[in-house]
Amino acid sequence: MNCRSEVLEVSVEGRQVDEAMLALLHTILLHRSTGKFHYKKEGTYSIGTVGTQDIDCDYIDFSFVRVSSDELDRVIRKAVGEFKDAMGNGTDGMGQISLEFYQKKKSRWPFSDECIPWEVWSIKVNVVNLANEQERQICREKVGEKLGEKVINIVEVINQHEYLPKMPTQSEVDNVFDTSLKDVQPYLYKITFQITDTLGTSVSTTMRRLIKDTLAL
Amino acid sequence: MAAHFDTEYQRLEASYSDSPPGEENLLVHIPDGNKSPWHHIENLDLFFQRVYNLHQKNGFTCMLLGEVFELVQLLFVVGFTVFLANCVDYDILFANKFVNHTDSSKVTLPDAFLPVDVCGASIRDNVAVMFVLMISGVFWLHRLIKFIYNVCCYWEIRSFYTNALKMSMAELPYFTWQEVQARIVEIQKEHQICIHKKELTELDIYHRILRFKNYMVAMVNKSLLPVRFRPPLLGESVFYTRGLKYNFELIFFWGPGSLFESEWSLKPQYKRGGNRLELADKLASRILWIGIANLLLCPVVLVWQILYAFFSYTEVIKREPGSLGARCWSLYGRCYLRHFNELDHELMSRLSKGYKASSRYMNCFLSPLLTVVAKNVAFFAGSLLAVLIALTIYDEDVLAVEHVLSSITLLGVCITVCRSFIPDKHLVYCPEQLLRLILAHIHYMPDHWQGNAHRYETRDQFSQLFQYKAVFILEELTSPLVTPFILIFSLRRKSLEIIDFFRNFTVEVVGVGDTCSFAQMDIRQHGHPAWMSEGKTEASIYQQAEDGKTELSLMHFAITNPQWQPPTETTHFISQLKERVQRETTGDRQTLTSLSGSEPRSLIANFLAGPPSLASLHLGRDGSLTDHGPVGVNDGASALRSLSVSSTRGSCSSAHRSAGHASFASRAMPGSSTDARTASSGSSVWEGQLTSLVLSEYASTEMSIHALYIHELHKQQSGGELSRHTWHRQDSDDSSDSVTEEGGSGGGNPNPRNLIPRSHTFPISTPISTPGPIPSSNSGPNPDRGPTPGQEVTPLQSNSQRRYGGNTDSVGPGGRVVRSERVPMGGWAEQGRGGRHPDTVPEEGSEDDMPPNTHKVT
Repeated sequence: MNCRSEVLEVSVEGRQVDEAMLALLHTILLHRSTGKFHYKKEGTYSIGTVGTQDIDCDYIDFSFVRVSSDELDRVIRKAVGEFKDAMGNGTDGMGQISLEFYQKKKSRWPFSDECIPWEVWSIKVNVVNLANEQERQICREKVGEKLGEKVINIVEVINQHEYLPKMPTQSEVDNVFDTSLKDVQPYLYKITFQITDTLGTSVSTTMRRLIKDTLAL
Repeated sequence: MAAHFDTEYQRLEASYSDSPPGEENLLVHIPDGNKSPWHHIENLDLFFQRVYNLHQKNGFTCMLLGEVFELVQLLFVVGFTVFLANCVDYDILFANKFVNHTDSSKVTLPDAFLPVDVCGASIRDNVAVMFVLMISGVFWLHRLIKFIYNVCCYWEIRSFYTNALKMSMAELPYFTWQEVQARIVEIQKEHQICIHKKELTELDIYHRILRFKNYMVAMVNKSLLPVRFRPPLLGESVFYTRGLKYNFELIFFWGPGSLFESEWSLKPQYKRGGNRLELADKLASRILWIGIANLLLCPVVLVWQILYAFFSYTEVIKREPGSLGARCWSLYGRCYLRHFNELDHELMSRLSKGYKASSRYMNCFLSPLLTVVAKNVAFFAGSLLAVLIALTIYDEDVLAVEHVLSSITLLGVCITVCRSFIPDKHLVYCPEQLLRLILAHIHYMPDHWQGNAHRYETRDQFSQLFQYKAVFILEELTSPLVTPFILIFSLRRKSLEIIDFFRNFTVEVVGVGDTCSFAQMDIRQHGHPAWMSEGKTEASIYQQAEDGKTELSLMHFAITNPQWQPPTETTHFISQLKERVQRETTGDRQTLTSLSGSEPRSLIANFLAGPPSLASLHLGRDGSLTDHGPVGVNDGASALRSLSVSSTRGSCSSAHRSAGHASFASRAMPGSSTDARTASSGSSVWEGQLTSLVLSEYASTEMSIHALYIHELHKQQSGGELSRHTWHRQDSDDSSDSVTEEGGSGGGNPNPRNLIPRSHTFPISTPISTPGPIPSSNSGPNPDRGPTPGQEVTPLQSNSQRRYGGNTDSVGPGGRVVRSERVPMGGWAEQGRGGRHPDTVPEEGSEDDMPPNTHKVT
């Protein structure tokens, strides 16, 4: 509960799915990334630079800005690709991809590290089927406009000065930031997706909760 | 040239000496690090609950010790039972068999023990014993794991207390919860425990700790839970045990497949009305399965209950046999009497205060028949006992005669039991006053009790809240047998209503998650027009909390948490009410004296005399009162504090004075009390714990006054007729949650069709559906109760108008403003409009025209 959650909804055509997802995810990550930290001896650090890059979409009248990090882009693309594969091609469908920012909390020995989310962006995608080229053309523009709105939404949300994890010291930097990338350092994030919101959660989560609940009684 | 360049370079570096060279020529940041591990806690519900628990259990060590002993106790109970059953040679103990001793003829205890191998063999052969042992072994292991887990969790809470809240474990028992809470609110600013808000409010913390309890209270309030039954022979009774409660919570809140997906959020599909029937089916089948599981586990639980009861109560019964005749607040009573957002310790202290009066009230109803019998039994038993004791004193060998000792013990017990049926000679029979005194502490009471305190029905109903300890134990023992059937046959039928309840009464509060909307204590949403919130409430009958629960809970919360800043409308309500109460209580000091003292008579006399007299009293003093009126308007919390201080002070001082002096004291009070307030509840969190304890005392007294006042007003507004027409009360008993109100004026209109339902409190479901008067008395609380709206709305309005007129007449124009600013018709009209779809179960309508009730509250 102790985390913000934002929901974005878009409805797009099948072939626009990955571009739309990329646009939104990249926009969020652009604002949730910093340059690499370089720690100094006295417990201070300096922040490296982050480049940005304009990306034009092929199937949508839209271009967005992303962090110019190919590595990050690769990771996102992979996730979006999986999402798209899971959605299946060309058919109507609902899906949700969520980008969750979390921080790790070290626990004592018997427990594993906790990952505590502090912000979750859920993007609900509704895939529509279009009959002819004309509709596609309209859709192309419309989705572009919609995405533009969403980007502004995202920026508005991010501009509110809400909770962000505090800047970590060198030893803790892994608990807050994803330091695996060479050129950029986003907050720790996780991308998950879900196809058609099914009733009930998965068996494993239920079991885990059950055990936890009985213990906590 | 080169030299020139060289010098240039030197000079340059000298001039920029303070900027670091090379790639260091960047902004340098200092990390704030995670100095405290308390920012951004994942599960705040659990966290606050643990913080509260640790506080209630008086610190870590106490809790640890308690839990360790519990574990040991468990082992002991099982081990000792098995030992007693298998390893003792009772023949030796009872001296039926003689032991061959070479040296002495004394029988020692170890003689009676069987040798280990024999004993072990007999245990191994006995399947039942092995079964019990295995079950308890598993149970114990579970407890052990839980214990270890808890220790780890609470260790963290402990360090939270010491490091973040700066309270050491040693002094924790001497802090009140309000102080702890104030600290938590304070540290939120620096640690950001909750990331949604910059600041936490008291209500947030309460909501999180009491999230599920609030739901339970609301469900009991709306009579949704099947806890009232009408078994043959026993009459109307309430059955609500810990086992049943556990099952309810399992089904609704945390069990597998429950309605909540996590501690803080209802599953999204339950928030939508679309497939409610489907969900209800699902819930019904879940309840069925859980019921069956209960049935299967029944023998295990039963054995456990019996063992547990035996070992925890036998010692007590032996020590003081009277304790079985003592009473305790029943589990149902605790749920019924609980305010929304009331923590355990607050409830318990309130109920404990009412305990004495309650048991005195119950003692008024000793059956005369039983008394006669008991007197005589006691006489005979007493004479036998006297003889035996006399003989024993003369020669103690009498004790050696078989069964003499046991008969002495039995006779003693018998006499004690009998004595509890014989009323105290000096007891004064004044049930009405006692009931009033009880009300001052328990705050809730069905309307029809007032004026009927001497009736046996009232006593019976009260005994549902306040039951014999023996009955409590008995119910706990039978619980494993009965629970599955209640689940399967009773609760399952309600699944649709449950689904509707959770959908309609869940709001999503930012920073808290899904909570019960009743717990918001919003008068507008859930107020009841008959309980002070007329004209302010927009709730339909289905949405109104019964018994004035919203209003009373709100007052209670505002009084216990004076720092809380309620929304403006609510503040207005609170301050208005407080002003009125203040006016009346300053008008009459005696009320307070009687509250703090044990003498209820003057209190009752005052209230029986009724507000009209109070009104006339305070009229002359209006001038003196107006100057602290505005305080209440501006700042509810502070006025409240000042009132509580002043009122209790007043009571102390006026106890020894005549009424005239008292009025003087009251006039002198405001000044001194404000001093006390600023001194005590100022900005500093560091206060002597004494002060806060004193304040909490004041708060409880003040709440009592408010509760009495609200009830009195409620009675005046709507219930005045009830006591006069006793035939009528009978009817109202029968209708489950709507009381009929006499429709026509005075008897000029005998047409029973004009009886209108007033939403009512103590739901008593009689199977004999009332003939005639009540439009339809569905037993149970189901939302599709009631009257067809078209038929009702018109008489409603005319009727209320009539009553309004009558009311003002009796009080005198301008004497007391009974209704606030709006004409009551507004309120009733609202209600009528709400009744447009009184069967609030929205088949297709309601969920379309109004979005699912989970709107965001910021």
